[in-house]
Amino acid sequence: MASILEIRHVSKSFPGVKALDDVSISLAAGSVHALLGENGAGKSTLIKIITGVQAPDAGEVLFDGASMRFSKPREAGACGIGVVHQERNLVMRFSVAENIMLDRLGAHSLSRVDHTAIADEAVRWLKMLDLDIDPGTPVSRLSVAQMQLVEIGKALSLRSRVLLLDEPTASLTPNESAALFAIIRKLKADGVAILFVSHKLEEVFGICDTVTVLRDGRNVCDSVPLAGLNRQDVVKMMIGRAEQLARRAPRSKPAASPLLELRGYSSDAGHRDVNLTVRPGEIVGLYGLVGAGRSELAKSVLGLSRQTGGEVLLNGQAVHITSVASALHHHGIGYVSEDRKGEGLILLHSVLDNAGITIWQRLASRFGLLHDATVAREVGPVIAKLEVKTPSLQQTIGNLSGGNQQKVSVAKWIAAGVKLLIIDEPSVGIDIKTKAYLHDLIHELAGRGTAILLITSDMPEMVDVADRILVMDRFRIKGEVENDRVYERVSQAIMTFIHDRKAA
Amino acid sequence: MTTAASDSATTPEPGAAEVPRPSVTLQVLLSNEFGLAALIAVAVVIFATSLPGFTSPFSLFTLSRQIGIDTMIGLAMMAVIVTGGLDLSVGAIGACAAMFFGFGLEQLGLPLPVAIVFALLLGAGLGAINGITVVRSGVHSFIITLASMSIFFGVMIYLTQAKGFNGLPPGVAAFGRMKLVGPVSVLLVTTLAVCAGLLVLYRFTALGRQMLSAGANARAAELSGIEVGRTLIFCHALTGALAALAGLMLTARTGAAVPSMAGHLGQDWLLPAFLAPVLGGTLLTGGRVSVIGTLLGATFVTVITSGLLLMRVSEFWVQAFLGLMLLAAVLIDKARHTLLRRRGMI
Amino acid sequence: MRQSLAIRLLDNDWAGPGLISLMAIAVISILQPAFLSPFNILVLLSAIAVNMVVALGQLVIIGVGQMNLALGALGGLVAICFVGAIEVLGVPAPLAIVLGLLIGIVAGMANGVIIARTGISAFIITLASLQIFKGINLGITKAQPFYGVPDSVKQFGNTAVFGSIPWLILPAVLGAFCLWYLFRHLRIGRYILALGGNRQAAELSGIDTTGTVIWAHALSGLFAAAAGMMLVARLQIGQPTIGDDWLISSFAAPVIGGASLSGGHVSVAGTFFGVVIIAIITQALVLFSIDPFVVQIVLGGLILWAVGINRFREWRLSKLAIQGA
Repeated sequence: MASILEIRHVSKSFPGVKALDDVSISLAAGSVHALLGENGAGKSTLIKIITGVQAPDAGEVLFDGASMRFSKPREAGACGIGVVHQERNLVMRFSVAENIMLDRLGAHSLSRVDHTAIADEAVRWLKMLDLDIDPGTPVSRLSVAQMQLVEIGKALSLRSRVLLLDEPTASLTPNESAALFAIIRKLKADGVAILFVSHKLEEVFGICDTVTVLRDGRNVCDSVPLAGLNRQDVVKMMIGRAEQLARRAPRSKPAASPLLELRGYSSDAGHRDVNLTVRPGEIVGLYGLVGAGRSELAKSVLGLSRQTGGEVLLNGQAVHITSVASALHHHGIGYVSEDRKGEGLILLHSVLDNAGITIWQRLASRFGLLHDATVAREVGPVIAKLEVKTPSLQQTIGNLSGGNQQKVSVAKWIAAGVKLLIIDEPSVGIDIKTKAYLHDLIHELAGRGTAILLITSDMPEMVDVADRILVMDRFRIKGEVENDRVYERVSQAIMTFIHDRKAA
Repeated sequence: MTTAASDSATTPEPGAAEVPRPSVTLQVLLSNEFGLAALIAVAVVIFATSLPGFTSPFSLFTLSRQIGIDTMIGLAMMAVIVTGGLDLSVGAIGACAAMFFGFGLEQLGLPLPVAIVFALLLGAGLGAINGITVVRSGVHSFIITLASMSIFFGVMIYLTQAKGFNGLPPGVAAFGRMKLVGPVSVLLVTTLAVCAGLLVLYRFTALGRQMLSAGANARAAELSGIEVGRTLIFCHALTGALAALAGLMLTARTGAAVPSMAGHLGQDWLLPAFLAPVLGGTLLTGGRVSVIGTLLGATFVTVITSGLLLMRVSEFWVQAFLGLMLLAAVLIDKARHTLLRRRGMI
Repeated sequence: MRQSLAIRLLDNDWAGPGLISLMAIAVISILQPAFLSPFNILVLLSAIAVNMVVALGQLVIIGVGQMNLALGALGGLVAICFVGAIEVLGVPAPLAIVLGLLIGIVAGMANGVIIARTGISAFIITLASLQIFKGINLGITKAQPFYGVPDSVKQFGNTAVFGSIPWLILPAVLGAFCLWYLFRHLRIGRYILALGGNRQAAELSGIDTTGTVIWAHALSGLFAAAAGMMLVARLQIGQPTIGDDWLISSFAAPVIGGASLSGGHVSVAGTFFGVVIIAIITQALVLFSIDPFVVQIVLGGLILWAVGINRFREWRLSKLAIQGA
């Protein structure tokens, strides 16, 4: 098969880190190519190089056999490389047609926009995607899946011969995903080379022909056919070891009465009839796809959205939590956010301030005075125990690695001595060693009696860490799986609960 | 999350912490405060040697008085820039507080200390109204304080019918003329005391830390158990109180409370209010302040201004020059950041 | 997709302010018949014409998601340059108008270039240029007005085309139509709104963001210059204080007209009714001999009220959109 786009021996360094080291990949016309790798493996850097956001330090990019050097996204687009990013990049108040044709509204600044011609052109691409919407509709009125198709249409309208889809199913329902795959197959039949980036191996095996796996910025494999591989092989390539099956023995069931109990809980955010208990010393997993309402449930319990029905019991007492401050200071509940940079840490501030933020109020003297040394006395030992690699406590946390940042965002709750810790996607963007360390830490915390509610979309992590697993879908709890650490059985049981809704 | 954020989140950066950091001495030399201090020193030396009147006791006295007032105006804005917001109504609040002060002394016959306390409370209250409106509505402070500057000033000018209070007790004007330690105005000493208080607030109190956290990343602060709404309202109230104090200091200088002391709608305060903190290295996006920097920034501006005026440059051209200085300050700061980042120093 | 009546009404920016304008006119003219006298209408329309051009200058910048504090200072600077050129340099009036507009465009572009190239907030850059423009203005005039306004200019500012329609309406209508057409039909208008609506999407689509920002500020400078010279015609004198009081009203009118301050959404028709509402209220205060100082309070109150209404509309729209989906 002739390859359209070829990346040869590309390297890219950032200050202090080599993100890509001698990486190659080649995309062939009429085939779907999977790009796999853990968070931090170098996928996003490779995507940036392909789309011209960043230029490589070494190596070359060949398009149709000719060497290219993109320095702007526009140049890659002009070449016929279309991208659909993970987050939506549409102008909400503009029409579907205008969004598709945004860079071709006219020859110069004072050109009149020919709305009819633009609509006609847009309809061509909408038809190709079987998308039956009026091109004049404002994008804000579309569903998320429709918006995504509009973006694919926009990418295709550039006569793209290479289409890059970055986590396209992250916010789609299974039905919508299936429809998307049908379109991908159609494009493939038309000769488009598709690069499919996803975490969901089931999808990769369902739709892809070839695969490239990255680990620590290097190729583990370069454009090999997927046919000869099974799931275990791919996982092994991604994480450098076989999927850990039953590495930890199932823990004994804590008998204590529940610390947190939700009964028939519903919320403003959209939760309906949620029942959930967490006991001291227990690790309860909450599994679900992106958008299932798991983080929203955590934030709702913390008082960030209004409770509209049911009961919240803490130690058997009905409580009404209205703010995160009262959740922390009165009820001893902490939350490690999945969005470390946006919600978890204050990147501008020091390690000390980030780790001590939860205990300032407790440590302050009667007049509100608070000295760094006082905070450091409490926080220092925790930072040391968690082996956070930092030159000093005064170091700006934005300068630490992802793994060390994540340790600090857990450390602040350990310092606060919370009784219930909700941990949301703990291993996003951190290295494997830190990930294993965090798993051990969660077990240790639970061993000392902390109740843990673990939210993750990472199935191996869930099976490795949780005691029992609740499955959430569309803001409801669909069922519970007892975790005996047998990966195949547990993951099967979880997926059955989620795919349940297809039948419904 | 934006692409940039998620991408950098997934980029491994194990070596980032091991990048050699510049030494402490170098960091001090590269700091805004040091640069400003050096510039002030150079300006003072040039003016002192070339302008004979510059070092006269009277000139030094008016200089110190002006530094005191301009710093206070800058500190008022700094207290709200901490939140990543701003307050266009500082001038209006300052004028309101000063007029209320005059009204209290002249019409109600309040004792001086009581009138001062009431005026400061009024300033804090008006600031708190701004804060509550910003927090409750979720609208950017620019548009809220644009409206409140019009309302505060309008109510004040309606109630006073644009007439000032000229019959203040002689103690007020005497305070404005008072000197401590040689030619240094007592107004500057007041400002220095407030600077010390703010230094303690931001460095050594829980509330100050909460203000900085809420300003740097409100979402993260809230999820870490900080009552962000309440903290932001405090910031706005502090701005109001400091603006009121600046209004009182201006009243002491002129010996009368006049509604036009901060110009139409209090707009004349906007430039000094932003110039001092921006020169001093306070981040407009919030979360980092420099009290000393604001003091040095205001000092630099005042030294240059009085030097130019002594050189008989028209005050109108000085005004244009101050605008150029603000422009130069932000451009140099931008260039400095880019350069340091490229060299991996920050 | 079928649009419900509720969505269409909520999505409409000018219907609300338009209705309020009409009601205000009805109520005031019943209470005070002098309000509809030909002379009063002429005065009212003259004020509306100038304020409309001022508001358009801010509207362009709001569209791109920024703000322009220097609008008034630039208007004032152009006003005195315009009269100064005629009086001191003896430049013929038409040429002076072109010169004035050029100064506006160039000064606006300077703002735009600095903002777009450095990425520093428009607030701080235009605060600095406000001070610079104002300082130059006062430095040239020494705070004294120029009196040498030619008769042709004076006539333009104070006579009617026919009936109660002042000549000043002409540039206002022309400017409003051009801006409406630009936002609706020209590439640059769509790019300004795209940039204001979603900066990242605009950048990734390959739109020249720097050029678009510069265009927006150049247009804003053009409107500021036009408004400054229109005020000279109306006041019959080159006042250095022209533009000092534009700040509040230049934001109030677009916001009352439903403009989103985060950018990407503006309404020329809505802004027109915003200007009308402000003018009517100001006039009414005079007619009913209410303290003119109250105007400031009312203007501030109007901004808060409009911001509240806009938030409510956005909130209702998002709720309805969720239900409809």
